[in-house]
Amino acid sequence: MKTSSPGSLKTDIQDRDLCINCGACTELCPYFKSYKGKIAMIFNCTLGQGKCFAHCPKAEVDLDELSLFFHQKPYDGHPLGHFKSIHVSRAGETMARVLFQNGGTVSSLISCALNNGVIDHAILTDKNGILPEPRLVNTTEDTLHCATSKYLAAPTLGELNKAMQNKLSNIGLVGTPCQMIAAALTRMNPMNQDGFKDPVSLSIGLFCTWALDTRKFMTFISSKMEIRDIKRMDIPPPPAGIAVIEKDREIINIPLEDIRPLILEGCSVCPDMTAEFSDISVGTFEDNPEWNTLIIRTEKGEQLVEDACKKGYLTLSDLPEKSLDHLLSGAGMKKKKAILKAGTEGLMNTLDNSKPAVLRMPESLIKTITK
Amino acid sequence: MSDIKNDAPPIRHLMMGNEAIARGALEAGLRVAAGYPGTPSSEIIETLAKQASKHNLYVEWSVNEKVAMEVAASASFANIRSMCVLKQPGLNVAADFLLHLSGSGTRGGMVIVSADDPGALSSINEGETRPYAKLMEVPLLEPGDFQEAKDMTKWAFELSEKIKNVVILRTVTRLSHASGDIVMGEIPEFTGKVEFRHEGFIIDPMEGAVMSAPVEYKHTLQQQKLAQTVDIFESSPFNIYNGPDKPELLIITSSICSLYCREAVSLLNLEKRVGILKMGTTFPLPPQFMKRHLSLTDRIIFIEEVLPFLEDEVKILCAEMVKDIGIKTFYGKRDKTIPMVGEMNADITLKALADLMGMTYQGAPEDYKKKAQELSFMKTPGREPTFCPGCPHRASFFSIHEALKLDNRHGFVCGDIGCYSMAVLPCGFQSIKTLHAMGSGTGIASGFGQLKRFGMDQPVLSVCGDSTFFHAAMPALANAVHHQSNIVMVILDNSGTAMTGFQPHPGLKTSAEGSDAIGIDIPSVCRAMGAHVTICDPFDLESTKETLLNMMDENKGVNVLVLKQACALSPEKKQKQKYDMTIDESLCQGESCGCGRICTRIFCCPGLIWDKDAGKSKINPVTCAGCGVCASVCPKGAILKKEV
Ligand SMILES: Cc1cc2nc3c(=O)[nH]c(=O)nc-3n(C[C@H](O)[C@H](O)[C@H](O)COP(=O)(O)OP(=O)(O)OC[C@H]3O[C@@H](n4cnc5c(N)ncnc54)[C@H](O)[C@@H]3O)c2cc1C
Ligand code: SF4
Repeated sequence: MKTSSPGSLKTDIQDRDLCINCGACTELCPYFKSYKGKIAMIFNCTLGQGKCFAHCPKAEVDLDELSLFFHQKPYDGHPLGHFKSIHVSRAGETMARVLFQNGGTVSSLISCALNNGVIDHAILTDKNGILPEPRLVNTTEDTLHCATSKYLAAPTLGELNKAMQNKLSNIGLVGTPCQMIAAALTRMNPMNQDGFKDPVSLSIGLFCTWALDTRKFMTFISSKMEIRDIKRMDIPPPPAGIAVIEKDREIINIPLEDIRPLILEGCSVCPDMTAEFSDISVGTFEDNPEWNTLIIRTEKGEQLVEDACKKGYLTLSDLPEKSLDHLLSGAGMKKKKAILKAGTEGLMNTLDNSKPAVLRMPESLIKTITK
Repeated sequence: MSDIKNDAPPIRHLMMGNEAIARGALEAGLRVAAGYPGTPSSEIIETLAKQASKHNLYVEWSVNEKVAMEVAASASFANIRSMCVLKQPGLNVAADFLLHLSGSGTRGGMVIVSADDPGALSSINEGETRPYAKLMEVPLLEPGDFQEAKDMTKWAFELSEKIKNVVILRTVTRLSHASGDIVMGEIPEFTGKVEFRHEGFIIDPMEGAVMSAPVEYKHTLQQQKLAQTVDIFESSPFNIYNGPDKPELLIITSSICSLYCREAVSLLNLEKRVGILKMGTTFPLPPQFMKRHLSLTDRIIFIEEVLPFLEDEVKILCAEMVKDIGIKTFYGKRDKTIPMVGEMNADITLKALADLMGMTYQGAPEDYKKKAQELSFMKTPGREPTFCPGCPHRASFFSIHEALKLDNRHGFVCGDIGCYSMAVLPCGFQSIKTLHAMGSGTGIASGFGQLKRFGMDQPVLSVCGDSTFFHAAMPALANAVHHQSNIVMVILDNSGTAMTGFQPHPGLKTSAEGSDAIGIDIPSVCRAMGAHVTICDPFDLESTKETLLNMMDENKGVNVLVLKQACALSPEKKQKQKYDMTIDESLCQGESCGCGRICTRIFCCPGLIWDKDAGKSKINPVTCAGCGVCASVCPKGAILKKEV
């Protein structure tokens, strides 16, 4: 994959509003930092190539190369990516009943992995006020503290870079599809560092159609209420069509149409709804949001799910045919839209000496996907 | 600094121009001197302050130049001799008072010494004192060498007393800061009791009220004083003609330029063909004296610095006298024979004279400049102006810059005058984006802070030093608070007027004379004005940055951050290292991805050096001040600090 300079990351990705604040370029050096949902370049960096650029999920991502690395198979454009099996699931009887986003599958799997030595640490996303905050945890208790979805884009990958600096390994990582891509890129050791060791032993991806731009959201919401009064925000699955803001004694519904303008620009060119580059992907089971849709993609993932069921961390059931069709069409639609958009904006397979491409994939696949 | 004290005449002494001015004032029987520090004027007050107890003077560093002039004026009103010392921009600050002072007149001799800095060697302007004399209708004197600096200062007091108005004495950097031989005079003893007399008839100049009203009466009186001055100037020994009876060319010059003229005429062997008229009393020009000399020839060149002041004044006279002296051809700034900006020197003068006299001046060889430039570029390391090792400003601006970048709304800093003005350059990470007069940063910020209503959503910061705070930033802060301007004011409190050499200010507990003073607490003043105040140590980069981010976030009203850390050169810190700094080479990442050598490429404290061969950073033990800040800048923890 082509790796360019920190300067190009700033001008060609961040300044073009493609950045989704995943944090993959942060905590590497003193130059890129995330603050309130936005990446800043503090001082210029004169290097010709940087890990920051190499890790970025919006800069020169060759999906074929990535797929060969992660799944040992070429990218085939399937709406759900490469996978082994699909189920519905929820937290098992071993798990405490706290407020999960849906069935608590993610928290359960991470707890199981931590408690059984599959991983030593997990990198999750907690919150501080309304801002999402990456967090390295080692216990079930802390894992549960990080439960529920935060809809503002989180710089979670910075925590992975930090962990690598601190020479931690055997890490479980939870994140959105773009974060899973960034993690996979990081794990490829793109700058061929000596003595590199893959720090991630387990990756759990979340389904995602979009996340919100923190600053736009804060401006929007501060005109309606004091930000510090907000206790929680949730976006219930369709067809609800609202965002729900919980204050101390009050619940406020905001129509999704009002929220849509606050979606990150970079999300519109994301071709991945189900976190195709992870061991396990988890989303809402739309027929019953108390449950999750669960996609097992790797052997490692298969092993963990089996173990979690056996030990009472997870309960598994079958995904109805109708729901699978629905999922396929949703994911396929996102992929098609993103690739069409990237194409018309000149962000797809760009020529070698022009600005970096956001995505690269064989031209033949583009045709199939956008048919 | 030489010892100007007491040596009885006719002892000769090597003295700096500023010391000569101080000596002249002492010989005149000066009692009160007040000023505000500013290069190239500062040594005058400093020299006098050291003599204060011995010669029974009162000397102070005032809060600003306007107050300094007021303090000096009070002594004159009490009929003793006084002096106000400032650099030219300070004259602008005091101008409002000066307009009224020149209208009211003075009693005891009062002299304003105003120092210009042609070429802006240590300023950000080339402000001119001379037009003020014309504007304020008061006499102007310009010493042309060191002896004159002393003698003219002494005489200026007599003149002031004679005409009962203030006299301006203009010096320039090259006179103030160079040294020459001086023959000393006696310093008189002070006896008697001082009293301000005010019970006489209201408009009595010596016993009435001191004021510029009734205006028509006082203004007329003021102009009579100028007419009296002209008479005195007609026979002034400070206006000197040197040259043949019928020169082919007449040079009219003043101040330090007269030395360049003498050098040029001598080098070109033009003594028999060119005359030099060196004027010491440059406003108002004495017409009869001028007429005599203007009649000598028809070709006249003006050699002076910055504005064509002499040139214009002489041209007016020539127009008035044309019937008697005939038509002249002028060379100078107006016809571009002499540059309008920058310092003069002997070389420019030589070139101009040679051209006018039809000579070829073989000055420096054609390619000399190019060669010199090449050599200095190739053989010397590039050295940008930068803050000293251990300077709190470097740390402050590192945090300010980082906070502004993180905030990511294109925020900026409005600056003013101090060492920290250099933050327009890379040494301050180019954080300052407007740079004007003392206190202007906060005034400008106060205005920017109101532009929110027109959609401006950038955070607005201002910086000012502790001395500047008292000098001119307090009214700006009051304005910003009163109008609820949305700004963050950062006060870079380094415990002294550091840039000009550590003069005290009202925030400190000592005075110019070294005696006890009442130190005013800056944070309390800001709080009393209604600002939210936080105090941080700029060496604590993290908390400074966090505080700034929170302040920018708050988005309403005035937040003041006081960054308190003494200047690295302050007497309390000099030679004292807090930390012993070392570099762990095994941790230093140097130029590779992950650091990109932020310490020696961005932070750039002169205490750090980049060892190209080893690819590692190093501490320079000679320059390192041991402040420890770079340890927090290194992302890899390779810079280690150990308390000493
Ligand atoms: C921005 C966003 C958009 C989503 N969009 C969809 C969608 O369109 N369709 C769908 O089916 N599902 C979507 N999901 C996934 C869904 O909301 C649940 O996260 C998922 O079903 C898992 O539920 P759970 O009960 O197992 O999670 P829990 O057990 O409650 O655990 C949630 C986990 O999510 C992590 N997390 C929370 N917020 C973030 C964040 N901003 N970035 C990275 N990690 C985070 C936490 O670390 C925590 O471990 C989205 C999630 C996010 C964060
Ligand atoms: S998308 Fe992620 S890696 Fe790329 S610039 Fe934004 S935060 Fe950095």
